[in-house]
Amino acid sequence: MAIAIERSRVSARRRNRYRARRWIGHALTYLGLAAALFFFLGPFFWIVTTSLKGNEDFFAYPPAWIPTPPSLAHYAALFTRSSGARYFTNSMVISSLSMLAALAVSLPTAYSIARWRFGGGFLSVLLLVLRMLPAIALIIPIYIMYKMFGLTNSYLGLVIIYTVVYIPFAVWLMVGFIRDFPIEIEEAAMIDGCSRLRALVQVVVPIIAPGLAVVALFAFIATWNEFLFAVVLTGIETKTMMVLVTSFTSGGTDAFYGEASASVVLGVLPAFAIAFILQRYLVKGLALGGTKG
Amino acid sequence: MKRFTLLASMAVALVGLAVVGGLWVSPAGAQRPYEGQTIRAVVNAEYVKYSLSLIEKDLYDKLGVKIETEVIPLDAFVPKTLLEFNSGASPWDLVMFGPSNMPDYGRHFEPLDPWIEKLKLEFYMDDIADVYKKLMLRWAGKIVSMPYDGDVHIMFWNKTAFERADNKKKFKAKYGYDLAPPKTWRQWDDQSEFFNGWGWDGSDRKLFGAGASYKPSASGFSYHWWRARFFAYGGQYFDANMKPLINTAAALRALEEMVKTMPYYPPGVLLFESEEPKTMLIKGEVPLLYSWTSTGKRVGNPAESLIIGKAGFGLVPGAEIDGKLVHRPSMTPGRAMAVSKYSKKKEVTMKVLEFISLPDQSLKIVMDPKTIMDPWRVTHFRSEKFRKSFPGADEYLDAIEKTFPHVVPDPVIPGADEYQRKLSFEITEALARRKAPKDALETAFGEWEKITDRRGRDKQKAAWGEKLAEMKALGIEYHPDWAAKAK
Repeated sequence: MAIAIERSRVSARRRNRYRARRWIGHALTYLGLAAALFFFLGPFFWIVTTSLKGNEDFFAYPPAWIPTPPSLAHYAALFTRSSGARYFTNSMVISSLSMLAALAVSLPTAYSIARWRFGGGFLSVLLLVLRMLPAIALIIPIYIMYKMFGLTNSYLGLVIIYTVVYIPFAVWLMVGFIRDFPIEIEEAAMIDGCSRLRALVQVVVPIIAPGLAVVALFAFIATWNEFLFAVVLTGIETKTMMVLVTSFTSGGTDAFYGEASASVVLGVLPAFAIAFILQRYLVKGLALGGTKG
Repeated sequence: MKRFTLLASMAVALVGLAVVGGLWVSPAGAQRPYEGQTIRAVVNAEYVKYSLSLIEKDLYDKLGVKIETEVIPLDAFVPKTLLEFNSGASPWDLVMFGPSNMPDYGRHFEPLDPWIEKLKLEFYMDDIADVYKKLMLRWAGKIVSMPYDGDVHIMFWNKTAFERADNKKKFKAKYGYDLAPPKTWRQWDDQSEFFNGWGWDGSDRKLFGAGASYKPSASGFSYHWWRARFFAYGGQYFDANMKPLINTAAALRALEEMVKTMPYYPPGVLLFESEEPKTMLIKGEVPLLYSWTSTGKRVGNPAESLIIGKAGFGLVPGAEIDGKLVHRPSMTPGRAMAVSKYSKKKEVTMKVLEFISLPDQSLKIVMDPKTIMDPWRVTHFRSEKFRKSFPGADEYLDAIEKTFPHVVPDPVIPGADEYQRKLSFEITEALARRKAPKDALETAFGEWEKITDRRGRDKQKAAWGEKLAEMKALGIEYHPDWAAKAK
């Protein structure tokens, strides 16, 4: 009897200790996450609130954490005085077109490499080598070439360069997705009368869609955030949002902290929104590329 | 007959209307001779674009011209614009540039003199401060640009710190001389030590000794803060044979003093560009700062300044050499405007350049507290409107005018920007105590030699020879003995 009571006490003590350990573990995890969130989102929170503050609140002490009342005046100024609408539209158009072009070119390339080892292994290595070249090393020859062909300050010029720069990454990602896709399903579709193209479009693409979403997401974000080509190859008509952000934030912002913050918010918002919309595909897509059949 | 009379009277009426209409139209045509034309300008920041917007309405009313302005961010500005120019074309008509880069830009600009004669342009040259006329406007002996932003450094101080009886008493007891705005670097260093770490404004706050910008970004803030001491101690960029003099005794003394006094500056000063210390000055957190003159407009801006009416303005400190005070404030880098040689609208762009440079139009630009454009015309300094624009504005403008005869320009030779960046990086390395001052300056010396060799020693030497003569004419020469003598 005494032994039985002692055992239940011991197991209760163990249970409590286990619970306490688990609780401490959870508390530490959340504490760590909170610290990481504060570290990464704190500056962004400050930028967002500054973009909504009046000029007198920028340097107020104690700091005005939440602007009262919040004002959209800096956003309005950005769109009226600083051609913000034009730059925002340019970024949207260029990023979207580059994303679509990268998908359109990369999918058949990746498919041919995955299924037929097109280029005999050389093509995929060559693509990887292209990826290794830093943009700064290419910028002057590209500028001269673009100048010759009249491609500077045009949407087409930017879409071409972004597509070309992004293709290696997209192809390498997609090759992984397609290799993991069971060829038997494709063959079954072809036995049922599908052409190879139809099998690719109607059978393969819907199944590897999460992977394509990842490629699209990265292509959009990479293009949206790109600065070097955007500053060198553009003119007044084709400048992008990142150039506007930098023209506010470099060389002293002086009395334009509000507009500078508003430009940063608008600069990151679309990439943030696209990532948010596609996030459910993101995990699936990344996992898809990582499996081995 | 009746019909004929009717037709004739209609014809007379039409002719009459045409004449009246013509009379009515022609004055407007004369008033806006370039109606419908748009020129393209390029500038290096949004606030410069904003400054042009201050005159755009008047420009349109007078000339009928609109300006479409492209902003290329500061760090990419020089490479991008030179890339365009060197390709033998330019999408811009009006070009903003830093005058220290004149050797790289000058050949792409249209000389002004033939157009001044042809279009009877009036730039009021006698009204431009002498130093700009001598140093900023010419390339290959021809005038190719007009000033837009008169950048020089002046000193700012918080009068509260210097006028409190308690502060004066304590300072005299510790240093043995009266507390007053510093005239020499030694006094500056004493005062920054004295003011650091306590409430010199009578509060309980822990305040700082002085403000500064020590980040090596742009053309190099830490370098601009170092060179005022370096030149006051007899320094010079190069000797006549293009050998850098930035590792001499003057250079070392200047840098060692800066390293030694680092604890008296706010934490984070190594990351400060121009605006951070200005903000600390106007919020009453630092009693002393030398910086660009646009700081004065922030001092006088009621929307942000807590020291309106409490600020003093004067010359950047110098050194006492053989009983005489030598001040060597920086003139750097400034902005100027020029007409692109490749423009297809040269005539109208020349008229625009004349218009934005007019005394009354340029005054609007340099007076606005939201621009960091600084005064450069004599009439700017003496404008009653400007002098009454905030309490102390008259002292502020007098301080700028008094600074001009002493200023030291940037090394205006090809690759000026590159030389400055390399040196600034090394200065900040020493300030961060990652390198000894001597090692940092020796490294910078080596970097400068490499730049000279890469760009062609003879070519650089020839360009520097011209600047050396100009600086000599301003009284700026290398004095190897001053570093030891300077008090």
